[in-house]
Amino acid sequence: MTEVLSEHVGSGSAGGALLEVEDLHVEFRTRAGVAKAVNGVTYSVDAGRTLAVLGESGSGKSVTAQTIMGILDMPPGRITGGEIRFRGVDLLKLPEDQRRKIRGEGISMVFQDALSALNPVFPVGWQIAEMFRMHRGTSRSDARKKAVELMDRVRIPAAKERVNDFPHQFSGGMRQRIMIAMAIALDPEVLIADEPTTALDVTVQAQIMGLLAELQRDSNMGLILITHDLGVVADVADEIAVMYGGRIVEKAPVHDLYRNPAHPYSKGLLESIPRVDLKGQELYAIKGMPPNLLEMPTGCAFHPRCPYRRDNCVTDVPPLYTISGTRGSACHYWREVIDDGSR
Amino acid sequence: MGRYAIRRLLQLIPVVLGTTFLINYMVWQLPGDPFAGRCGQRPCPDSYVSAMRAQFGLDQPMLVQYGHFLKNMLTGDLGVDFNQVPVIDQLGAAWPITIRLALLAVAIEAVIGIGAGVLSGLKRGGFLDNLVTISTLFLLSLPVFVTGYLLQWLLGVQLHIINPTVSDEATVSELIVPAFVLASINMAFTARLTRTSIVENLRSDYVRTAVAKGLTNRRVVGIHLLRNSLVPVLTFLGTEIGSLMSGAIITEGIFNIHGIGGMLYRAITGQDYTIVVPVATLLVLVYLISNLLVDLLYGVLDPRIRYE
Amino acid sequence: MSEPTAMQDLLKAEGPAAVPGLGRPDRARSLWRDTWDILRHRKIFWVSLVMLVAFLLMAAFPTLFTHKNPEYATLAKSMEGPSADAWFGYDLQGRDVFARTIYGARTSIIVGVLATLLTVLLGGVAGVLAAYYSRWLDSVLSRVGEMFLGVPYVLGAIIILGTVAPAQSSPDKVTIMAVVIVVLAVLGWPILMRIARSAVIQAKHQDYVQAARALGAGPGRIIFRHILPNSLAPILVYSTITIGSYIGAEATLSLLGIGLRAPVISWGIAIADHTSYIRTGAHALFFPAAFLSLCVLTFVMLGEAVRDALDPKLR
Repeated sequence: MTEVLSEHVGSGSAGGALLEVEDLHVEFRTRAGVAKAVNGVTYSVDAGRTLAVLGESGSGKSVTAQTIMGILDMPPGRITGGEIRFRGVDLLKLPEDQRRKIRGEGISMVFQDALSALNPVFPVGWQIAEMFRMHRGTSRSDARKKAVELMDRVRIPAAKERVNDFPHQFSGGMRQRIMIAMAIALDPEVLIADEPTTALDVTVQAQIMGLLAELQRDSNMGLILITHDLGVVADVADEIAVMYGGRIVEKAPVHDLYRNPAHPYSKGLLESIPRVDLKGQELYAIKGMPPNLLEMPTGCAFHPRCPYRRDNCVTDVPPLYTISGTRGSACHYWREVIDDGSR
Repeated sequence: MGRYAIRRLLQLIPVVLGTTFLINYMVWQLPGDPFAGRCGQRPCPDSYVSAMRAQFGLDQPMLVQYGHFLKNMLTGDLGVDFNQVPVIDQLGAAWPITIRLALLAVAIEAVIGIGAGVLSGLKRGGFLDNLVTISTLFLLSLPVFVTGYLLQWLLGVQLHIINPTVSDEATVSELIVPAFVLASINMAFTARLTRTSIVENLRSDYVRTAVAKGLTNRRVVGIHLLRNSLVPVLTFLGTEIGSLMSGAIITEGIFNIHGIGGMLYRAITGQDYTIVVPVATLLVLVYLISNLLVDLLYGVLDPRIRYE
Repeated sequence: MSEPTAMQDLLKAEGPAAVPGLGRPDRARSLWRDTWDILRHRKIFWVSLVMLVAFLLMAAFPTLFTHKNPEYATLAKSMEGPSADAWFGYDLQGRDVFARTIYGARTSIIVGVLATLLTVLLGGVAGVLAAYYSRWLDSVLSRVGEMFLGVPYVLGAIIILGTVAPAQSSPDKVTIMAVVIVVLAVLGWPILMRIARSAVIQAKHQDYVQAARALGAGPGRIIFRHILPNSLAPILVYSTITIGSYIGAEATLSLLGIGLRAPVISWGIAIADHTSYIRTGAHALFFPAAFLSLCVLTFVMLGEAVRDALDPKLR
């Protein structure tokens, strides 16, 4: 067997990344039982790098992000283990008022549905300006000027005239731009974008992704891009972490994963993307249902759906095996998967 | 917005006409001669009855009477009552007292109702939440007059904290307990409505965004959450101002307050319809106009509402 | 219209506790099954049910609770306080307050229930007609409803009752009860019309109703077979709470001297008779008032329990 990849997988140097999540465990206590949403997730992101976290709904990717931001609903949520280090300091041990100051200044977040994420009763300019007024004590009029500048920067046409408009008066793409403007207002070091383009039209999706990539380059932010759409990440991400059932099942530089996935789940995801060169062939679909978080399958959570399944998959939880450098796969039979190659 | 307001105002006209016609019709056309019983033990002389009937237009057809009524209302002439005292003078004395009582009641509803609702909504399932839920259930089940007599007896007769009845001046401090009684049911509703609204909005995405922006807890709750949650509550409080005034009939009766409610009540039992009709009309107008204003206010409070 | 509008808001108010609902594929039937499953586990439901049974027994068989004659007066005992002999004391006429309070339940519940039935009938028919047929009828009915709602509740009742049955007159038992019932319903129907109307409009746009219509079912069949059963829940909840508020309203009108009056025995009348004696004999006022409030509470609690169980969205 291969050695187990124990060091921080992901971008950047080991042990000194800008933001590191280590062995994070989060569960939800509901009346129906305990749902284990995150089961030992470890990843990190460095300045100027982009980590894409990929997974279907319920895989724990958003819960991890919410835990980093400190906006997890507790209860019913509970952090049962792990660390989240930002510049080496464990956020989970910080008192709330220090943690609050990091939100927006250090780590910032863009949400999926900007219409509901923006406050409906305040003008967008006011909402952006609030960042400066509350964190920096900027005066009302100066904060407003900065809000217009930011709206210009995310390329909202006629920003000056629209600064007093309300969220519902903008189109979906424009609203997401406002959300982004608000998130980058204080030049955060890490930006988490939670499915930033899911609610948008395809053409607008590309524009928003382009904008995010450009902003990241300009200000050298670390970017965590959470998505369920493999197609979105290829051009922007440096690294990919694929999540399934609250665990990271594969971690790889983006092109390695695309070229040759090392986990049956990532392989299935890749094969279910329609491809022009394979037109006419039947599209692959991963059979079965996503795991029930209340009753996780024993062993490897993916085993009920896995074409590579053997007996020990049902009993032994696979660790994240090191494949090479920063690459890892949580599959007992990753060699086989790699050898099969992509289509 | 301006056009919408005008259209709503125009829509109000048939409702006002219909309602006032109903009031006029019921008061004047139903059986029982209002003048027959006005001369003590003996029946009134025919000459008196016919003179009075002529003076108040009772000898004319209903529609003509209604026309007179409309004309008088529009010119601000409220006429005299059966004892030839101008109605406007009586209104002038009673009106400020009822307004004071109603405003005080609204203030109590707002302060206690919203306060209790916010606290219980923020700490859902906590001790305070259960306390508010149960006490509002009881308040909702107590008819206003039961609350009234109970407080009058407890605070006035037993504990001597207040005078059981209110003096003619009806000062603000005297009106606090009656206003509390008048407010009791709406206060319970306000608390519940606020709680529901807070609980709903607490889960909303924009509150999560506000937290993610690194705002203090106080600002998240005090600005982002409250501003949204209070929209339906303020609407409720506004629409209820009109019915609060007529609900004052009972409260004013219990505490012997000489306001509009008491005036109306005495006029009805004394069958003095010249007072009933204008006062009832006034109350209806207050009710309808406060509803309209609340409608317009709603658009100011919630920018998503569009007037078409 | 202070009480009913307020009651309507109560319908929107949120239930106190979350109870897990079990999703079942069969929508219509499972709604009631789920509701029952939830209700069974709620204390507030059982408490209100026990209270309801007690009040219903009181109304149907008052002799189970007291063997005294509520009409029998001993003037010598006028306003005597509670004792072992008479638990609630004697009233102004020297009649047993406990017996009169027990006998008062019947009137209050009859008035509350019948007025609610009439309200449901008037408002329900108007609501279904408004929602199902032409826009023209809808706007006419809505305007008429607004006119009735334009007269504040207490004011409207005072005006109607003050003219139909003035305080000085003394109509017989059945007449005055009928008049009060009609007045309550006449002033209350527009709210029920709104509830029924929106429930029907919602049901009308459901796929299964569209499907039934596409298959050629007539309006009568669609309304009775498809729409009504599915619009029943909000009407049921509102009606239960309305019974409570009508019982309170009846007492309020009796208190003003324009509702029920002697020889009818009712809580409202008992309270009205003793308002001037609050200093000397509060017992004659507060015992009937307590029963009145408990009875209103019973219906409000029951309605709330059912509402919380019915509407999973509100949990």
